[in-house]
Amino acid sequence: MEIEIRDIDGIVQQLGGKRHDVIPVLQAIQEKYNYLPEEALRRVCEISEITPAQIVGVASFYSQFRFTPAGEHIIKVCAGTACHVKGAGLVYDAMKRELELGKDEDTTTSGTYTIEKVNCLGCCTLAPVVQIDEVTYGHVSTSQVGTILSDFESQKGASGKKKFKLADGSEVKGEIRIGLGSCCVASGSDEIRDAVKDTIDRNDLNVKLKHVGCVGMCHQVPLVEIVPANGEPTLYSKVKAADVDQIVQEHFQPEGLLKRLSNKLLNVADTIRDDSRWMGVDRYSLDIREKHVSLFLDKQIPMATEFRGVINPIDIQEYKSRNGFRGLARVLKKMKPAEVIEEITESGIRGRGGGGFPSGTKWKMVADQPGDVKYIICNGDEGDPGAFMDRMLLESYPYRIIEGMVAAGYAVGAPEGIFYIRAEYPLAVTRILQALDICREQGYLGKDIMGSGFDFELTVYQGAGAFVCGEETALMESIEGKRGFPRIRPPYPAVKGLWGAPTLINNTETFAQISYIMKNGAGAFNKVGTESSRGTKVFALAGKVARGGLIEVPMGMTIREVVEEIGGGVAGGREFKAVQIGGPSGGCVPSWKSDTPIDFESLKEVGAMMGSGGLVVLDDADCMVDIARYFLTFTQSESCGKCSFGRIGTKRMLEILEKICTGKGTEKDLENLEDLAHWTKKGSLCSLCGTAPNPILSTLAYFREEYEAHIRGECPAGKCKDLIKYEITDDCIGCTLCAQDCPVDAIAFKPHEKHEVDNELCIQCDGCRQVCPENAVIVR
Amino acid sequence: MVKIKIDNIEVEVAEGSVLMEVIRDMGIDVPSMCYLKDEEHFTSCMVCVVKERKSGKIMPSCSMEAAEGMDIISSDEDVMEARKSALELLLSEHVGDCEAPCQITCPAHMDIPLMNRLLAEGKFHEALVVVKKDIALPSVLGRICPAPCEGACRRKSIDEPVSICLLKRYAGDHDLEADASWKPEVASDTGKKVSIIGAGPAGLAAAYHLALQGHRCRLIDRNNIAGGSLCKEVSEEELPASVLQQEIDQIAAVGVEFSLGSAVNLAEFKKLQKSSDALVVATGKGESGIAEWGLPMHPKGVEADGNTYRVGETNVFVVGSALKPSKLAIRVLGQGKESAFSVDQFLKEQPVKGEPRLFNSRFGKLVPAEYGEYLKESVEGSRLEPAQKGDGLTAEQVMEEAARCLHCDCRDLKSCRLRLYSDAYAADQKRFKSEERQLCTKQVQHDEMIYEPSKCIKCGICVRLTARHKEDFGFTFIGRGFDVVVGIPFNESTAAGLKKVALKVADACPTGAISRKVENK
Repeated sequence: MEIEIRDIDGIVQQLGGKRHDVIPVLQAIQEKYNYLPEEALRRVCEISEITPAQIVGVASFYSQFRFTPAGEHIIKVCAGTACHVKGAGLVYDAMKRELELGKDEDTTTSGTYTIEKVNCLGCCTLAPVVQIDEVTYGHVSTSQVGTILSDFESQKGASGKKKFKLADGSEVKGEIRIGLGSCCVASGSDEIRDAVKDTIDRNDLNVKLKHVGCVGMCHQVPLVEIVPANGEPTLYSKVKAADVDQIVQEHFQPEGLLKRLSNKLLNVADTIRDDSRWMGVDRYSLDIREKHVSLFLDKQIPMATEFRGVINPIDIQEYKSRNGFRGLARVLKKMKPAEVIEEITESGIRGRGGGGFPSGTKWKMVADQPGDVKYIICNGDEGDPGAFMDRMLLESYPYRIIEGMVAAGYAVGAPEGIFYIRAEYPLAVTRILQALDICREQGYLGKDIMGSGFDFELTVYQGAGAFVCGEETALMESIEGKRGFPRIRPPYPAVKGLWGAPTLINNTETFAQISYIMKNGAGAFNKVGTESSRGTKVFALAGKVARGGLIEVPMGMTIREVVEEIGGGVAGGREFKAVQIGGPSGGCVPSWKSDTPIDFESLKEVGAMMGSGGLVVLDDADCMVDIARYFLTFTQSESCGKCSFGRIGTKRMLEILEKICTGKGTEKDLENLEDLAHWTKKGSLCSLCGTAPNPILSTLAYFREEYEAHIRGECPAGKCKDLIKYEITDDCIGCTLCAQDCPVDAIAFKPHEKHEVDNELCIQCDGCRQVCPENAVIVR
Repeated sequence: MVKIKIDNIEVEVAEGSVLMEVIRDMGIDVPSMCYLKDEEHFTSCMVCVVKERKSGKIMPSCSMEAAEGMDIISSDEDVMEARKSALELLLSEHVGDCEAPCQITCPAHMDIPLMNRLLAEGKFHEALVVVKKDIALPSVLGRICPAPCEGACRRKSIDEPVSICLLKRYAGDHDLEADASWKPEVASDTGKKVSIIGAGPAGLAAAYHLALQGHRCRLIDRNNIAGGSLCKEVSEEELPASVLQQEIDQIAAVGVEFSLGSAVNLAEFKKLQKSSDALVVATGKGESGIAEWGLPMHPKGVEADGNTYRVGETNVFVVGSALKPSKLAIRVLGQGKESAFSVDQFLKEQPVKGEPRLFNSRFGKLVPAEYGEYLKESVEGSRLEPAQKGDGLTAEQVMEEAARCLHCDCRDLKSCRLRLYSDAYAADQKRFKSEERQLCTKQVQHDEMIYEPSKCIKCGICVRLTARHKEDFGFTFIGRGFDVVVGIPFNESTAAGLKKVALKVADACPTGAISRKVENK
């Protein structure tokens, strides 16, 4: 595309030409050209305060920005933890082979596709996940990448989605709720919505279709809940668009006799159906009273996620009707700022971002600072692979978080707040922006909020893709238009934060829970949880567990309860081995320590960390060295590069882990690894790299024998490519599927004969094992 | 004002003072690479860490402000180990030579690249001065040395090594042929007497370097002529006696006395040990008498300290084949020179440590992708050979051949803080070595400075300086994490990037990554 100087000038004019405008300007340029043309950047520097050193420094820091044109369609292979343990790496390799891309290439020569690994698409329960543009494919196996591409090709341009028209409210016979959390959308809830709309239109039903936020039961998506005006609600899971007609008609009869009749004629074969006779085996209606559903839900206590699956995220009337903004009214009208802080302190809430700093103390620090210029920041730069609770909260409960932030502004005396949300969460950004507009209209933001005389404004800042910006000092640097380099603390943001002013920065979940506390009082919150860790915590439960999803559980619940009771234990008859808690900062807690209660202190004691709340269940097919390497790959690539321990320490640790995983490690390497882990932990400037060694240290502590086995050249779990061999057993029936699937012709095509794998040629893509109908392909 | 404790000493300092300055003001050394006074701190190198007593936390002192009640340990085992680890991590990605491989390989540790630069410019006398700093017999060695230095020469990877040995020979010969050969300056008389037994290459070298320090040296040899193995084992064709004699004469000219034809027996040895302030034994191999002198022996020779050449706590120093037989004249000559440092320290009642040697950063062979980079500071062309085997090079040839040098030595040998601290903390560059290394590149477009990114430790001093002085482009960080590089935006050249503060930046760079072009090259 030609670069038009006036387009660039327009962007700068619209977004501003101050140094701190650099990231929004870059985002706008990339939006326009799909990459950052140098000519455009040079023009920006000519007409603004932004310098070449700044623009290049910033653009090259954030992974959102590209310096070469991307393909027409972007293929995102999720590399989140849950996807990783389910073979995302192999899927990525297979996709690259399918697209005939070399080692360092990411875009096809025709410019049609660009492939990239992304940290988490937030659909952990559909792992492994591949997204092409807006279409998401779940449970992808290496042998399916070709199918996915041709499916995508056939879908292209066939969209033309119809707008949904709501039935007249007064005559509603009931409600059909469709989950619009990311998991649901990813699994096809948009299609379902269209199908429902279609059915309602065709049958002229007076049924209200309602969008609800994340229900949390991500293992069953897409979910459709039918709530008749009279009668029990029924929840349908794993619904496909083709089923919608039957589901809807099961519950609602068309209005007129004629219509009903014509319908009967049209669908003559479908008149009587029950769940068991539907064609898909993975589709069934769920009754909330059913045991496994109640197990999943009953042990949870929704505070941050209160009314989940019930309220429409953006409907402010509904939020209000469920006591929304009542907490804020109480704060603004009945309490002095100091009393608010007292209540927060009394609730015992600690920061949900991972560190667990007592929120009351932090608020008081900010409140005690002199001056009128202070900021509230909601940290929504969630970037852990395998954690997506912030996203779910932002998408599903925007008002709750806004309420918490306004209350915080009042308590600490800040007139202004910022939502820092990563640009990879476009839905969350849109929802929050919508919610902010509505709040302004309704007097919950702006001047004289709720007639209290308190003024407060909120804006959204989109992060550009750097995990380190979840670190509070780096986050603020980024808002100031700089590279996301963390700064030394103290001074803490509470004293000297954004633009040098006192800044209260809390995690998204913390603000959601603040709303709960404000509404229900400190007592309602602190009666839940343990002595030192009060309240609840939201986790993304995923991995090798039967029922995954977003859960909110009381602090102090044991790991075992979460895995076995809520999660329904390990799926597929395998053995529970460990849980990885806290993502890249956390650690692996072995199954024999699963009576550990989940609270800040206990997790630290066993070498893990609350982190931001990823909880990935591992079974005996997971290699712990590989898990350590996986997390190190993540932290190493996300390290900002500022301090020597972080920049070089993480790299060297990763190199050693790679050596060990390929069977080239030595005893000396293990020693060096421990040494490096020790110093990187102690010496790093910020907690990103300071906690990066945790996955190594915890696996070394509990699974050292696996490291030692790798040094001997064995991977006990059969995961590490260089240490395994594929073999075909006598169960082979000679169906040739494996030979057809093999991308490198390592299996000769021999119909009706036992097949063999040539391990010289084999690239360990696992395709043969996945396609074999007889389970005759085994790993040694 | 806030009150803090540093190493249990209570101090009162202004609020906002950074710990490093407080500690340095107390006269305690704190190493640092990324800190630049008056510039905003960047907290990158982590070499300046100190420890908080209560929490045991390690913290960077360059950016940690003093706060009431702080209790800081400026240095203990933990702190030292942390600093060393930080240095070793930096070294693991610092691809560059401190001293050139040829110099490190040369047993006499001669500054070969500097000699080459001077010769290339036709400064033959200046080159000789450089040579004689380490080699007392350049014309002799220029004829007989097997030149281990040339084996290490990086030019060898590209085509053929620089003809170092013949270049050195020319420097020596040029001086011998001059109307008045060079007389180095001799320090004022110390009154200390040193006897050197054995006038072979080791003894000659020891005597020469000690005499220059103002000590009264006497060389004793049982033979009637000086030169030891140089006369006995080398043919006249290879080394004309006249050349040897001329260089011995030059040694005599700096005040070394010769007592030739006098064998030393036990009684004589004891007498010498008493009458001299120090005694250097350089008797060469096959000196049978030595066994009787009562010195501690091992199967191959006398037992002495490997670095200082000193025998126990005595005033006796042993060098050359008396220590361990060697066929390499340059090696024993080098030992003679090194022992002179020990003897000098001993005579001046300083701690006897031998010749000071600093840490050297090293990396493996050049790879083909780097040849072009190294040639940027050199010239194309193959090695020049003398007209006939055994001949020397002509002056023109010398200038041309010397210009083939790649100048592998770092410009910031003496000021590089990475080198100085690595030395002080005994850092091991191999501890965190990785299998892949960064490629060396050299950005030479600027008239005043040169930038070698592979030596950069990403401290960001240049980024901060060029931004503050409002360079149009300046330096910036490009990329993130381990792959971050410091460079000029939009791939502009260093010439375009630094129009205002190139020299300031070169001087502030803590390593040799950015350095002044003129400095010693």
